[in-house]
Amino acid sequence: MSAPSPAPAAPRSAPVYALVGNPNCGKSTLFNALTGLKQKVGNYPGVTVERKVGTAYTQHGQPLTLIDLPGAYSLAARSPDEAVTRDVLLGRRADTPTPDRIICIADATNLERNLYLVHQILDLGRPVILVLNMMDLAAQAGLTVRADHLSRELGIPVIPCEAAHGKGLIELKLALSRPDLPLPRHAWDIPAALAPAVSELQASLSAQDGKAPLVARAEALLLLTDPDPVRVAGSTPLSAATARILESWKQRWSSDGTDCSGTLVAARYDAIGRLARETIVPPATGAHPTAADATLALSDRIDAVATHPVWGWVIFASIMATMFLGIFTLAGIPMGWIESLMGWLGDHVSALLPPGDFHDLVIDGALAGIGGVIIFLPQILILFFFIGLLESTGYMARAAFIMDRVMSRVGLNGKSFIPLLSSYACAIPGIMAARTIEEPKDRLATILVAPFMSCSARLPVYLLLIAALVSSNEVPLGTQVGLMLLMYFLGTAGAFAFAWLFKKTLLRGAPPLMIMELPPYRLPRLRDVAWQMWERGAVFVKRAGTVILALSIVLWFLANFPKPPAVAEGEPPVDALAHSFAGRAGHAIEPLIAPLGFDWRIGIGLIQSFAAREVFNSSMGVIFAVEESDDEAATQAHLRDALRTAVRPDGTPLFTPLVCLSLMVFYVFAMQCISTIAVVKRETAGWKWPLFQLAYMTGTAWLACFILYQVGRALGF
Amino acid sequence: MSATLARLYPESLPLCQLPAGESARVQALSGETAFCQRLRELGFGERTFVTKISGRGPFICVVNGCRLALSHDAAACILVEPTGLRK
Ligand SMILES: Nc1nc2c(ncn2[C@@H]2O[C@H](COP(=O)(O)OP(=O)(O)O)[C@@H](O)[C@H]2O)c(=O)[nH]1
Ligand SMILES: [Mg+2]
Repeated sequence: MSAPSPAPAAPRSAPVYALVGNPNCGKSTLFNALTGLKQKVGNYPGVTVERKVGTAYTQHGQPLTLIDLPGAYSLAARSPDEAVTRDVLLGRRADTPTPDRIICIADATNLERNLYLVHQILDLGRPVILVLNMMDLAAQAGLTVRADHLSRELGIPVIPCEAAHGKGLIELKLALSRPDLPLPRHAWDIPAALAPAVSELQASLSAQDGKAPLVARAEALLLLTDPDPVRVAGSTPLSAATARILESWKQRWSSDGTDCSGTLVAARYDAIGRLARETIVPPATGAHPTAADATLALSDRIDAVATHPVWGWVIFASIMATMFLGIFTLAGIPMGWIESLMGWLGDHVSALLPPGDFHDLVIDGALAGIGGVIIFLPQILILFFFIGLLESTGYMARAAFIMDRVMSRVGLNGKSFIPLLSSYACAIPGIMAARTIEEPKDRLATILVAPFMSCSARLPVYLLLIAALVSSNEVPLGTQVGLMLLMYFLGTAGAFAFAWLFKKTLLRGAPPLMIMELPPYRLPRLRDVAWQMWERGAVFVKRAGTVILALSIVLWFLANFPKPPAVAEGEPPVDALAHSFAGRAGHAIEPLIAPLGFDWRIGIGLIQSFAAREVFNSSMGVIFAVEESDDEAATQAHLRDALRTAVRPDGTPLFTPLVCLSLMVFYVFAMQCISTIAVVKRETAGWKWPLFQLAYMTGTAWLACFILYQVGRALGF
Repeated sequence: MSATLARLYPESLPLCQLPAGESARVQALSGETAFCQRLRELGFGERTFVTKISGRGPFICVVNGCRLALSHDAAACILVEPTGLRK
């Protein structure tokens, strides 16, 4: 750290508590129970790891700031998620205050594994409160948990708790209000072979990196097990002197064959194993403590079917089908409401403002832009409802398990499945979900191909083009579903093909080694699912109100300025659109897109789609001067008819079936979303990968459309 | 699985070859250091007892009462000695 850590003497208004624990130990449940509605979800600057901060109150009413850190198995981070947890706890992040006190949560049914992280955290020399969660499940399994014994051994408060049922919260809040939390009385012997290295690193860390003595010891231990530390943006690097010392020790060990990480982990497990055996008393009758666990036995029976090579796929396919049906059918109703709401808003605002540029800016720029994006809120909410349900029941891990076989064919592992699944709604949450993938190359490959999955913004474009493609007014259901499925299939196939290609070339690496915990099946808690939907929805709406709003205004400006010169009476009017920046840009790219069957007007739509793909529809509406009517269906029909009657300068129809198809294929493959580019830039910490992605995806789209259009033409379509 | 390890532990086989339903004891871990470390941190270190629940890769194993899914390649890094106990 460049600056020494702040003196702990300075009293702050609200002390900062961090909540840490293994994944699935009930952290979020406890966080929600403690903070209620008083929480804020954001991101750690520079990484798309979610940052949740809330305000909780002690039993005596004192406010305190609570940070919900991402779940981690160890401070030796293997993924960006875990790296954030490590860096916040060690005070390595400038953007987050170093927590004053730490609340560790451990799953009482699996104490030994959970204690590993606790054990590392006790080294930090900060006051720790240990919460033993899932006490109900431990009792069901017949385990007696001697919390008082553990408390005496560690010298910290240990509080049995059932976060899901609100039990133990009062005791926890009482502990939170204690002004004098003791420091952990916690002794474990660092293996003799490593002790000299630890003390030398510790000395250097406190002298060169300005760490407090106890933190320095914890960091020294960590450096030995964190060989290639996942550095994330926003964390301060190690000083050169310390790095040199570490390097020289590593060389010494590799020459004399000492396995320093193995030795350290084993030493910790020896200490933990003893603690766990003394704390957990297994049921008297059963020889094996876990054999009595009824929940697990039930879980295993469900798993026998849910991960079965045949039935597993049947279940998986039905769940996915239900989910997509839900997204595309159920969402229609609330989408209609939003549409009428936006229409109503437009009419009223329109009546309030005098006609002129400002009126147009607000109505055609801002409102139309936001409306075009907000309309997808229902689909996003439904998607997150399903994802939340799958996660809170524990099925998500099974889905990743089933998909592992498919994913490993293209060099990825099952953990890449969830990001790709989310990308069907929107690539942004999909790319954010990639943060749990440990292997950086696998993570990058997943991020690079995620936008190929047809997101919900492409849906209106497909629908419009399919309507324009068939000649009858009623699109036969078979054609519509068939073409739609074809587009989804093309995108998915493209994602897998490119993932395979990247893993073979650019991102070559050892075959991924997947190890993933399968949490026991649980009944979903609808309140938590609703919470998650609310959180995602809020993030989405916020984005629409900021980024998308700004972009829409810029695009409106480009399509309306400069104004065409005034013409004398009788002369043909100058086409205002052709004269605008957007029109000129359309003309400029026309040579490039003409081989795909597109003219400059389609070019404008393609350019504007960079704000959001669905903008294509409204941009076609403006270009082909479709009269808006109150009835959305009528507007759509007008638009479809306008497209059908649009002609090229030589009088031939513009939107032939072949052009429509080519345009759809373009939308399948092209990277046309500024928000995605921004997220990829943030995620990969630089412009290199987002620009590469833009180039390779759009290049693929061009090539595919070129082949399709030219072959189609040659065949006489 | 490296040849040296196979010679050191002649009774052992990689976890991927352990029949489903059988229990075994972990003898040695091979492969990437970071991966081995994570296995140990998850309580999957040397001398741990493991029961394999489902057979075809990826596999589900029980360690310390906790279900872990391992891909085929990951299971190939874990050398175990069957204890002859069936679940
Ligand atoms: N039976 C029981 N379930 C719990 C308890 N605490 C949390 N859960 C459930 O455990 C699951 C994981 O909890 P969550 O808070 O999402 O864990 P996180 O991954 O640590 O944030 C959820 O389905 C919770 O409803 C508890 O005390 N008892
Ligand atoms: Mg959580």
